[in-house]
Amino acid sequence: MSANPRTIIIGLDGVPFGMLKAFADAGVMPCTRAIIRDGFFTPMQSSIPEVSSVAWPSIITGHNPGQHGIFGFVDMIPDSYKFRFPNFKDLKAEPFWNLCSGQAVIVNVPSTYPVRPMNGVHISGFVSIDFEKSVYPQSLLLELRKLDYRLDVDARKAHTAMDEFLQDVDKSLTARIKAHQFLWDNYDWQVFMLVFTGTDRLMHFLWDAYEDPAHKHHDFFLDHFKKIDQAIAEITAKLTAPDSLIILSDHGFEKLEKEVYVNHLLASEGFLAFEQGAEPKPVNMASATKAFALDPARLYINQKGKFQAGSVSEADKSACLADLEQLFSSLEIDGRKVIKHIYRKQDIYAGPHLNSAPDLVLLADTGFNLKGAMTSKQLAAKGPFTGKHTYPDAFLLVNNKDLTADLSENPCVTDAGKLIKSCVS
Amino acid sequence: MDSNLSHLDKLENQSIFIIREAYSQFRDVAMLWSIGKDSTALLWLVRKAFFGKMPFPVVHIDTTYKFKEIYDFRDKYTKEWDLSLIVAKNEEALGENMGPTKGKFQCCNELKTVALKQAIAKHGFKALYLGIRRDEHGIRAKERVFSPRDEDFEWDYKNQPPELWDQYKTKAAEEEHIRVHPLLGWREIDVWEYVQREKIPAVNLYFARNSKRYRSIGCATCCSPVDSEADTIDKIVEELKTSRISERSGRAQDKEDDYMMQKLRSLGYM
Repeated sequence: MSANPRTIIIGLDGVPFGMLKAFADAGVMPCTRAIIRDGFFTPMQSSIPEVSSVAWPSIITGHNPGQHGIFGFVDMIPDSYKFRFPNFKDLKAEPFWNLCSGQAVIVNVPSTYPVRPMNGVHISGFVSIDFEKSVYPQSLLLELRKLDYRLDVDARKAHTAMDEFLQDVDKSLTARIKAHQFLWDNYDWQVFMLVFTGTDRLMHFLWDAYEDPAHKHHDFFLDHFKKIDQAIAEITAKLTAPDSLIILSDHGFEKLEKEVYVNHLLASEGFLAFEQGAEPKPVNMASATKAFALDPARLYINQKGKFQAGSVSEADKSACLADLEQLFSSLEIDGRKVIKHIYRKQDIYAGPHLNSAPDLVLLADTGFNLKGAMTSKQLAAKGPFTGKHTYPDAFLLVNNKDLTADLSENPCVTDAGKLIKSCVS
Repeated sequence: MDSNLSHLDKLENQSIFIIREAYSQFRDVAMLWSIGKDSTALLWLVRKAFFGKMPFPVVHIDTTYKFKEIYDFRDKYTKEWDLSLIVAKNEEALGENMGPTKGKFQCCNELKTVALKQAIAKHGFKALYLGIRRDEHGIRAKERVFSPRDEDFEWDYKNQPPELWDQYKTKAAEEEHIRVHPLLGWREIDVWEYVQREKIPAVNLYFARNSKRYRSIGCATCCSPVDSEADTIDKIVEELKTSRISERSGRAQDKEDDYMMQKLRSLGYM
């Protein structure tokens, strides 16, 4: 082990500030409570949009999407209206481990598939597909298979067999912890990052179990966090005085009241049109389309010269943007305002990739979950999910208060990324 | 080469040279036979190269999701041509009901890649003949005639031996196996013209019925026919001279994207 101060980063995907605080206070997470007591603990803003695929790249690079180039789980290929899925190869900024002089061990960070050669160990996170492209170096494959390591839980099971899904969540957590122990002991690393993603999966499907102590999966939910706290306790026990420990989430969560289908509204208001008789799919968009949305609520003007069947001229763009802002700011469902905030791209993004950014991004008000699916036959519905992502209440917890002296008043995920960079380089 | 030879003669000569060269180097070899037009043409060439005999086994990777016509054709010509047939199946995955509904990526990986790995490990093949062609698919344009695969089955296209002036590098490291691609330089139409000239039997799925035919055949679950009136080999050759549709358009593509979509959908995206 090296004598230099080390940096340990633990990610708890989707865990809101309020939940972590409540679990700490209630004794579910006693070790976390002790770190909060002695360290620095603050709510943190997520990325816009508030999804893991954008937030984690901001955390690992310390840059906003205009610089790192990742704006969501999916992008549109301009000359075909086909989907493409940006991955680690599309990340335009360096992750912190490439700036670090010593070895790094990076486990389960979302949006880092496929792995690339680096100085240390990298096991990619959601969405990782081929196991062999998810592990660097390849010599680790065998050991990870022995540990029954799983890249991700199979969330499809949550729709059909909840008990199997929960078993899977638990096995993935156990294997992730074992893998971390193995890597911790067998590598001479300077920075170690481990992200737990079962938290996000549980909150998507079982937010109701968290809120309701009588729910049959309430205890499972608490146990999951207890096990994570034990893993954190194990890590803190191995720290030496100068080591930095940073625990953070990438976005928050809250109860989901209604899914709202943004493209449904665009179609019914005449902004989005499909070829006659064709299925409502992106590839079938007609040139009459003025705007469309990609998940979760990124709006793109169907601009001439930018998209294959683009029809909105540069001159008409600002009027179209204003119409869209008018449409969404007045949207109400069940007598409640749906949209809390509408951002124009230049207000939230800066950097060389601004051109690939959505023209508008919508942020939903409490309880509403915005979606980009084009096939919905209704504006709003309630699906199988009980929890949804939130923007303002991710969290940041640092063991050493001195490290946070330069942190801004209302930190966001990009600030957390800068803090990590300053620790490791 | 002799300029009096036809285009097909030249292709045939070169393929037979590659087939013999690889066999004399490796001996522990086999060829993959999907029963489709390309690997059946390859099989024909191998039999020609060895004067009507097959000196090594043919491997059929059987996902169990193939068309009935494929199995019938396989069994008929295995007998007729006196082939030593190895059927490679991933029994364990099939036992757990692996199929395309569990995700096309996992299905292909388990039932094709893993099944082949198991067969290679079991029989200790040093080289495999495959009927792939450069014009089938963008990524295959970078292929070599002798193409090493490492122990993880990865094809490192940035680290390949050069094949200048038809000089082939046929040596491989211990843990590698070499893939030999005698048809690499053939085009789809060359294969059909060769089938036509040599009267090589072809599965009837290739011939149009009700204005549809299969242009590229995979598993019954994951490929679809294209619009066509070509119900004879002559008509297929004519069709290919004018067609602008890609050969593999009926095949389910981008399996990683498909899997990605499925993962995202299960969490409520897309």
